[in-house]
Amino acid sequence: MSYEKNLLQMKKLIKKKSAKAPSLAPFVIPPRPVYTGEWEKAGFTVIENDFGIIFEKKNIYKPNQFHGKFQLNEIFEAFTLWNTFQGVHPISADNHHVIFFDTETTGLKGTGTYIFLIGKLAWKDGHFEMTQHVLADPSHEAAFLYASELWKPNLSVITYNGKSFDWPQLQTRWTLNREHLPKLPEPTHIDLLHASRRVWKDELSQFKLTKIEEEKLGFKRVGDIPGHLAPIIYLDAVKSGNPSTLLKVLRHNEWDIISLLTLFIHTTKLLLKEEYNDTVVTSTNIGKWFFDLKVFEKSQPVFEQITNHYDPVQAARAFYYLGFEYKRLKHVNNAYKAFEQSLVHLQDSLKIKAYEELAKIAEHSQKDYAVAISHVENGLILINKSIQLKINQKVRLAEAFDKRVKRIKNKQTISWESAGFDRN
Amino acid sequence: MKSLIKKKAIGELLNEWKQDPVMRERIVHWHTIDEKEAILSDFPIDLDPSIKEALKGRGINQLYSHQRQAFDIARQGHSFTAITPTASGKSLCYHLPVLQSIIEDPSSRALYLFPTKALAQDQKSDLNLLIEQMKQDILSYTYDGDTSPAIRTKVRKAGHIVLTNPDMLHSGILPHHTKWVSLFENLKYIVVDELHTYKGVFGSHVAHVLRRLIRICHYYGSNPVFICTSATIANPKELAESLTNETHKLIDQNGAPSGKKNFVFYNPPIVHPTFGVRRSAILEVRDLAKQLYSDGIQTIVFAKSRVRVEMLVTYLKELTKKKIHDDSIRGYRGGYLPSERRQIEKGLRDGSIQTVVSTNALELGVDIGQLQACIMTGYPGNIASAWQQAGRAGRRQDEALILYVAQSTALDQYIVNHPSFILGQSPEEARIHPDNLVILMDHLKCASFELPFKTTDQYGEFEIQELLAYLEEEGILVRTSDKWHWMSDRFPAHEISLRSASQENVIIIDQTVPASTKVIGEMDRYSAMTLLHEEAIYLHQGIQFQVEKLDWEEKKAFVREVDVDYFTDANLAVELKVMSEDQEKPFNKGSLFYGDVSILAMATIFKKIRFDTHDNIGSGPIQLPPEELHTSSSWLSFERPTGWTDAMLTEAMTGTATSIASFIPLFVHCDRRDIHVVPQVKSIHAELPTFFVYDSYPGGIGISERVYEVWPELLSHVEQYVNECPCDQGCPACIGPQESIVGLKNEVLRLLAYLRLETTGEIDVI
Repeated sequence: MSYEKNLLQMKKLIKKKSAKAPSLAPFVIPPRPVYTGEWEKAGFTVIENDFGIIFEKKNIYKPNQFHGKFQLNEIFEAFTLWNTFQGVHPISADNHHVIFFDTETTGLKGTGTYIFLIGKLAWKDGHFEMTQHVLADPSHEAAFLYASELWKPNLSVITYNGKSFDWPQLQTRWTLNREHLPKLPEPTHIDLLHASRRVWKDELSQFKLTKIEEEKLGFKRVGDIPGHLAPIIYLDAVKSGNPSTLLKVLRHNEWDIISLLTLFIHTTKLLLKEEYNDTVVTSTNIGKWFFDLKVFEKSQPVFEQITNHYDPVQAARAFYYLGFEYKRLKHVNNAYKAFEQSLVHLQDSLKIKAYEELAKIAEHSQKDYAVAISHVENGLILINKSIQLKINQKVRLAEAFDKRVKRIKNKQTISWESAGFDRN
Repeated sequence: MKSLIKKKAIGELLNEWKQDPVMRERIVHWHTIDEKEAILSDFPIDLDPSIKEALKGRGINQLYSHQRQAFDIARQGHSFTAITPTASGKSLCYHLPVLQSIIEDPSSRALYLFPTKALAQDQKSDLNLLIEQMKQDILSYTYDGDTSPAIRTKVRKAGHIVLTNPDMLHSGILPHHTKWVSLFENLKYIVVDELHTYKGVFGSHVAHVLRRLIRICHYYGSNPVFICTSATIANPKELAESLTNETHKLIDQNGAPSGKKNFVFYNPPIVHPTFGVRRSAILEVRDLAKQLYSDGIQTIVFAKSRVRVEMLVTYLKELTKKKIHDDSIRGYRGGYLPSERRQIEKGLRDGSIQTVVSTNALELGVDIGQLQACIMTGYPGNIASAWQQAGRAGRRQDEALILYVAQSTALDQYIVNHPSFILGQSPEEARIHPDNLVILMDHLKCASFELPFKTTDQYGEFEIQELLAYLEEEGILVRTSDKWHWMSDRFPAHEISLRSASQENVIIIDQTVPASTKVIGEMDRYSAMTLLHEEAIYLHQGIQFQVEKLDWEEKKAFVREVDVDYFTDANLAVELKVMSEDQEKPFNKGSLFYGDVSILAMATIFKKIRFDTHDNIGSGPIQLPPEELHTSSSWLSFERPTGWTDAMLTEAMTGTATSIASFIPLFVHCDRRDIHVVPQVKSIHAELPTFFVYDSYPGGIGISERVYEVWPELLSHVEQYVNECPCDQGCPACIGPQESIVGLKNEVLRLLAYLRLETTGEIDVI
């Protein structure tokens, strides 16, 4: 109630007058925040440019340094693997000008949310260099954005969820400062969250970077602050002038970015390196990814390797995709065998499709109508009793399968009849 | 086999009624509005040929005068407001200038605001049809909660015309304005449809949303023009200017043609003379609707609640029960799908639906074509609604019949006996109060989030630097050398509902179906004490609910749907303190004031009162802590009339207060619960008898401000009405239910005579 009481006392302060037209003023470099000295003492370097100041922290890492299971210089192996890869892939990066980056913001969305920390990791002068820039205060935003150098042309960036979050936030901040800054281009952007979802689908239940770090990259953080506290810590540092907890946010950001680098190494190797595998589920996911990208020279060996190394139940899904591979190559018999073997352990929607493919091969290539019909009928049984499908899907599939079985039965009748004629 | 109903002309029916003694007694007033020819104007010379062709394709070869005026004023770059009753072709008032500007410059953009999503959807279909007929490449989309993500990107980048509603603008567009650069850089027109719906608390919020919108437009360099369309209210220009903070030209001459309209004001007969109880309006409506149905007259019946709609439909369907699959009588309520609406519309157009019974959902905009007759069950609460309901009846070549059937409430009875209130110049205004500090601060936060304020900026017409300093103290903003920056992780637009004044509302949860409880609404704390206490009967969109549990700590009310024959009425014990007197007007017996008050209120007991008979059938205590409210108020303090005891004065003032409360809606668009009238025999403030009128919302919402202006007329209406009420001693229709046989009607009349505020020079001796 005191809030409303205070407001009512201020009622007399509301004055009204008609607005004057705004005047255009040139850029004036804002004064340094009062806490600049204190923050410098805490470990920040003050960087200056035409727009104001930025608080900077740099870290250098030796190439052979370990982070979790990986040495940082393994990235060159990753680049080489991509170099030799003949094709286009969403996470292909083969040059060392790539930048790993991640940001921290004061909120989740909207024009009142500021980016307060930009961290970048790049290869420079024989070592890995991490540059972290902190927004000095909101009036120094143009300086902050300019110093990020993300406006430079021909950029390649690697992020985690950057396509949906970090880059759009950057674009928003850019728009609000657009009179002062060079235009922000669209760089080549590799988002490892999308990649992780592809590779570890049905293997991991959540895709938080810290989870993947622990389970796949062999790194466990000690003494980390929870990410959702970052905004409050920064806001508090600006309001109070005290940056001590803020340094923990930088540490958190640092870990995020180095893990990004090792994640890139690991994912690349899983995709491209022979004998470098995770589980059968991930291998099948990877095969499917190549399959969806139509890089069949990669997908097929992956599936074949799975079927050779794992038991029929685990390899069932690989067999399913292998069926399509062989179908594409017109090796119908191999395709048929593969689809048959896939039936042992598939989710309903895929199994129904497998039945359909088997029926098609039986009908058109093997001309064995009875077998074809039995496949369609098995499919219909599954459609009816499936609890995984939605009603409208069931209706659609049942209709299609009904049509198919009628047509095959028709053909069967005709061929029986014609078999009765002497062909002389 | 086509229907065997013999159609009767309306003129014929009216003649019959004029001869019928029963009808003659009940029909209190007849009024005819003669038919009106169209006032036509040529197409503007510079109107693009593609638009001309599209209009001609629809059978339009000339514009109505007001449509032409709208086009001309818009092209001059001046904001304007047009009064556009039903069937006056209002959408062309905005479509034509907007489409013309886009054809001339394809980078032009326009924003259309509708109060609801459903209206926006309807208009979008019509607009797209017009664009198609024009064969032009113009993109128009609705942008609201239902818009899919893929379309959202498209609308932002390339939508010429964006149709949306204030809530979406407030939390979905403005706080994300950097994604809408091409809209804001090129915005030429902002269309505000159904202007009269932006009143009270909601209107005050929307006034700020529009100020934020203009602020952002200026930031991106555009200077759009406002085009507003409104139903009939007394102060359209004032409302528009207050809402948009711009000067408006007014177009109030409607050039559309209309057929002859017959207004019939019907009062059900009295069945209990002592208590002034009349026969139920719903039964009268049923009988009248039956008659119209039998005479083959296509009719729309408006009822106030869904329950009553359903009752009427059931009664009327008796007429068709012998016929198989006869859908000629239909009910209609809000929430119908577009496909269902199209069905009813079609049925009405091709004559297969003859009678439709609806709640006021069919008032706003939705196109159902024109019918022959309209029956209004009671006064819909305000004049604009009454005219919109009446506007549903009336075809070009035909006579129309509008039947107003009065219920036994005070206002209804007043109107049926004084039809000039609806037919003539009404004093009913739509008021908003953007100055309300609570609302202003809410939006100041949103505006600060959207774009930092400079230390030299103002916001709309307000000077806000000190208010911003207050927000800095609260830790929300940080001031750098020349700007106030948002320094919080909160998203302010999500913390504000445009339909409530304070943010600690009570949420109303429907638990009728245990497995699927859902939130059906919100109410401010102050009103909740008397409307959502446990066992209260709460009416929501025409459905009755009973409050089963009120968790005051958590601000949640759990309700269950019921169907009962009574309503509840709660008593509020009020301690009122005057905080400041801002204005004063003396009169011969005392003074009128306007200022701020602080109220400590406690709900004490509630009564269950049967509909119609108004018998008290039960009561119970209310256990809630007292609530504090700071708001604006207007009060009338007067010298105690000589010879009156405290007891007499208290009772007379109580009856008078009830009457006053009934009549305030005559002067300002509001609900009964927006305003409170409290009599005090000995006010703490000046020790004089005083009537306080205060707004139910913290900070005030402009209602008592209006009351301050109209006390003399208000009291004169009240006196006239109580005098004319046919009851003996006082009744619910005039001064409220009376506890004893000897009522207080005379005392109330004496007091009102004493309080005649027009100084006549005579001093009444009581």
